[in-house]
Formats: sequence, C-alpha cells, structure tokens
Amino acid sequence: MKKALVGLALALFALSVVLPLAWMVLTSLKSGPEIFSTPWGLPGTPHFENYAHAWQKAGIAHYFLNSLLITVATLVVLLPIGAMAAYIFARYPFPGSKLLFGTFLGGLMVPQFLAIVPLFFLMQRLNLLDTKIGLTAVYVAYSLPFTVFVMTAFFQTLPRELDEAAMMDGCGHSLAFWRVMLPLAKPGLIVVGIFNAIGLWNEYSLALVLISSDENRTLPLGIANLVMVEHYQSDWGALFAALVIVMVPVLIVYWIFREKIHETMLAGALKG
Amino acid sequence: MAQNRIRPQSSRNRGRALFIASFLAPAVALYGLFVVLPVIQAFQFSMYEWRGISDQKNFVGLQNFKDLFTDNVFWLSLEHNLLILVGAGALFLGVGMLVAHALQGEGRISKGMRSVYLFPQMISLVVVAVLWQFIYNPSFGLLTPVLKLVGLGKLASEGIAATASTALPAVAIAYVWYGVGFYIMVLSAGIRGIPSEVQEAATLDGAKGFQRFREITLPQLWAVMRVSVVYIVIHAVNIFALVFLMTQGGPDRKTEVMLTYLYERAFVDSKFGFATALAVANFIVVMALSGLVMRLYRKDPTGVAV
Repeated sequence: MKKALVGLALALFALSVVLPLAWMVLTSLKSGPEIFSTPWGLPGTPHFENYAHAWQKAGIAHYFLNSLLITVATLVVLLPIGAMAAYIFARYPFPGSKLLFGTFLGGLMVPQFLAIVPLFFLMQRLNLLDTKIGLTAVYVAYSLPFTVFVMTAFFQTLPRELDEAAMMDGCGHSLAFWRVMLPLAKPGLIVVGIFNAIGLWNEYSLALVLISSDENRTLPLGIANLVMVEHYQSDWGALFAALVIVMVPVLIVYWIFREKIHETMLAGALKG
Repeated sequence: MAQNRIRPQSSRNRGRALFIASFLAPAVALYGLFVVLPVIQAFQFSMYEWRGISDQKNFVGLQNFKDLFTDNVFWLSLEHNLLILVGAGALFLGVGMLVAHALQGEGRISKGMRSVYLFPQMISLVVVAVLWQFIYNPSFGLLTPVLKLVGLGKLASEGIAATASTALPAVAIAYVWYGVGFYIMVLSAGIRGIPSEVQEAATLDGAKGFQRFREITLPQLWAVMRVSVVYIVIHAVNIFALVFLMTQGGPDRKTEVMLTYLYERAFVDSKFGFATALAVANFIVVMALSGLVMRLYRKDPTGVAV
C-alpha cells in the first residue's frame, strides 16, 4: 500500500516534468487552428512544415549556425588554454599560485551581472560590441573558472610518474604536456567540453547585452526576439517548432553523456 | 665547480619559470581582461554618475547608493527576490527531499528518473520561459483547460502570468519546474552517503517513518542541506532570464526583481552609475545571505566536521 502510494507520487512527479515538454513537441506538429481548438489533443496529421517555416522563414537556420559557430569557437580556444592553466596549478606550484587559483575559482561565485556594465563599455572601447569574436572571447573568459577547476582536479588524479618519465625521456615541460598529459586528460576534457557546450548553446544574458544586430544573434536571442519583439505570432506552430529546435541538440548530447554529466554536476555542486 | 653546478640549476629554473608563465598567460590575460577588470571597475563605476558618454563622468561618492536606498522599485524588487527565495526554496527542498527519499537506492527506476528530472536543467532558459508563457496562455495554454475545470476560468482567461496577484507565483512555478532536478540530485547523493549502519541501528532502536527521517536522515544531510540552501540563495537573488522573458518584470512591476531592474536602468534608461550600484548591492545581498546560511548551518548536529 505504502509502496504503491510512493510509486504513484513518483509517477505524478515524472509526468509533471515530461508533460510540458511533450506538449511542446506535439504542439509543434499541429496546424494553427488545431493549436487553439484542442490544446490537449494530438495533432490530426503531423504538420512537419512548421519546422520548415521556423528554419527558413523565421530565420532559425541563421541563428542556429551562429550558435554553432560561437559554441565551437569558444571550445576550441577554451579547452587548450584552460587545460594549460590547470596543468600549472596541478603540477607547478610557484609563489602566489594558490592566490591565482583562488582568483579563478572566485569567478564561480561572482555573479555575471556585477561586471555587466563595465564589460559593456570595455567591449565598446575594444570595438568588440556586437561581434561574434567579441562574444566568443567573453564566453571563453567566463567559462574559464569552471574549466580550470575541473581540469586541475583531473590532472591531480594522474600519477606524477607519467610526466616525470616523459621528462626523463628528454621531453621538456611543454612537450611532456602536449605529448603525454593532454592525451591522458582526454576524458576530463570531454566532460568539461560537453558541459560548457550545453551552457554556451543555451546562454542568454551575456548575449543579450553584447549582441544587438540580427546578423549576430545566437539561437536563444533569436527565439526571444521572435517572441518578445517581433511578436511572431501569426505562425504559432513554427514558434513551437523553433523551441524544439533549440532543445533537441542539447537533449541528444545530454542523453548520450548523461552519466558523466550527472557525475560532474554532483562533484561541482558538492565541492564548489 | 660550485659555479658550474649552480648555473644549470638556475637556467633550469628560468626555463621552468618561462614555461609556467607561457602556459598561464592566455588564460590569465582573457580572464583578467574580461572578468577581473570589469568586476573591479564595477565598484568604481558605482560611485559615478554616468550616462554612457565618456567625457561626462562625475564622481558622486555614495550618492548612487543613497538614491538606491530611497528607490521604491529597488526595495520592491528585492522583496520579490526574497519571496522567490523563500517560496521556490521551500518547494526545492520539500519536493527535492520527497523525491530523493522515494528514490533511495541505485535501482533502475532511480537511475531512469534521474535522467528525467534533470531534463529541464539542460534546456535553455529562453525555451523554458517561452514554453511556460505558452502553458499559461489564455487561449491555447496547457494549463488553461485545467484551470477552467476547477472553476478558475476567469483567472485563466486573463492569464495567470499577466494578472497582478498571480504573476509572481506563476513565474516561481516555472522556476521550480526548471530547477528542482538539481536539488533532487544533490539530496539523493546525500541520502546515498548516509552509512547504512546508521539507518540499521535506528531501525533496531525502533525508529519509524517520520521520526526516523527527522532524527536520523535529516541530521545526516546537514552538509548537503547547507550546500543546497546556499545554491538556492545564489540563484534566487540572481534570477534574471526567466523573469525578463516571461513578464519583463510586469504587470505593473509585480514581478520586478533586482536584475531585471538593473537591466532596465542600465540599458533602457542609460543610468549606468545607478545600475552598477544596484549590481554591487545585489552582490552584497548574495554574499551576506550566503554567509548567514553558512553561519546558521555551522553547527553540525552529527558532530562530523565538514
């Protein structure tokens, strides 16, 4: 009896999580009149053209490419420089290294909005406002604390004998890192990369402040603009389809790596 | 001889220093320029009156903070942050604890559920906000037929997120839907971490049901609860995207929170000095409240130092 009650409560909870998402996907396949007449009904025939409309007419394709470009570019810069710094913190203590490491970790605590106004004017002065490269640079900087934190912990778990052996074989400090340590750190890099990728793909606040032109809009900005500013409400089906388009890549990545993601979230939450 | 021995040593040291510097340089440069510098400047900016034109920057000392403390909207937005903190926080911990408790063990159901409840966390807040706006939509929202069924048709047709008295709870519910998975995850880990001997001993002593939960489980979760509450504080005080996208702080500022007000003063009104003072105040509120939580939770009833 008690077990059944607990099971029922859990099922209700799971339903409340899944139902809004399922509704979003189902609504994205309905025709305009259907959306209004049967909010709880299934689509009569699936209207896949909603996705074509979102992709082409509403400009989602363009925002999608921007997001992809900025996310990939950020990771390409972030992962090596984050791993390099982390390797130093893990293996090469020097006077002041603890303080510097602390400054990086402090970034996990500092709210983005504390820096937002000075950052806006800094970007203006550097002529980086409303540019993809500017947003990428800012994304790299704001992703560094988490990246350095996780990678430092990862390098600390690798046995010291490995880089010492590499150095014995005549590798310099630098070569030992690139040839031996970085390849060994691949599992850590993958987790950090995925984690950052999801966060960057979804990021809204920094992009809202730093990007203004339609040409440079990322996917979250583009969707928000369609709904809030342009009131793109003649085509509800396409709007729902656009939401699904933002969500699906993340959910696929999440599903593939869910165990790893879960582990990292937990470690980050309980240590940070 | 001695000289000879020192020289390679010092050149090796120099090589080491050079290596350290070159490996740190890119990260330090980007982090210093785009994070550390603006954070330091924030404290400086908050003491200027500035409308964004470079040669009209007047030092006004603490005037921005005085303006802030006499600004009704600031206090109203702080109140909304605190209401979200308490309301959503209670649900995070309550629902989190119930689900975590029900999911004890490493069974298949437990693992499967974990993937489900973390789903919303992975989705962009933009999608969450727009989706919930649609769920509350008076003409086709998912919730609207349900509300009509239970006799709240009038409310449903006005839109819960657009009605003054229900807008803040409406936003908070969307926020709980988005965030609760994180707390289930953390609390589940906490429960898994309780040594099984402790639970067994309690069972032998005849502790049952709620008593066992209160006297055994809860104290063992002290450290995990403390972490959870700190996260609740940080996130509730810094809530922005969800509110901004769902209600823009409206109707009639009924959902205005500190950061939506900051955004308005900075990027709509060009009151950059005032907005930065608000950012500093927001930071101080986060630090003060987290400090308070750490203090209140300092004494660990199990006597295990964490």
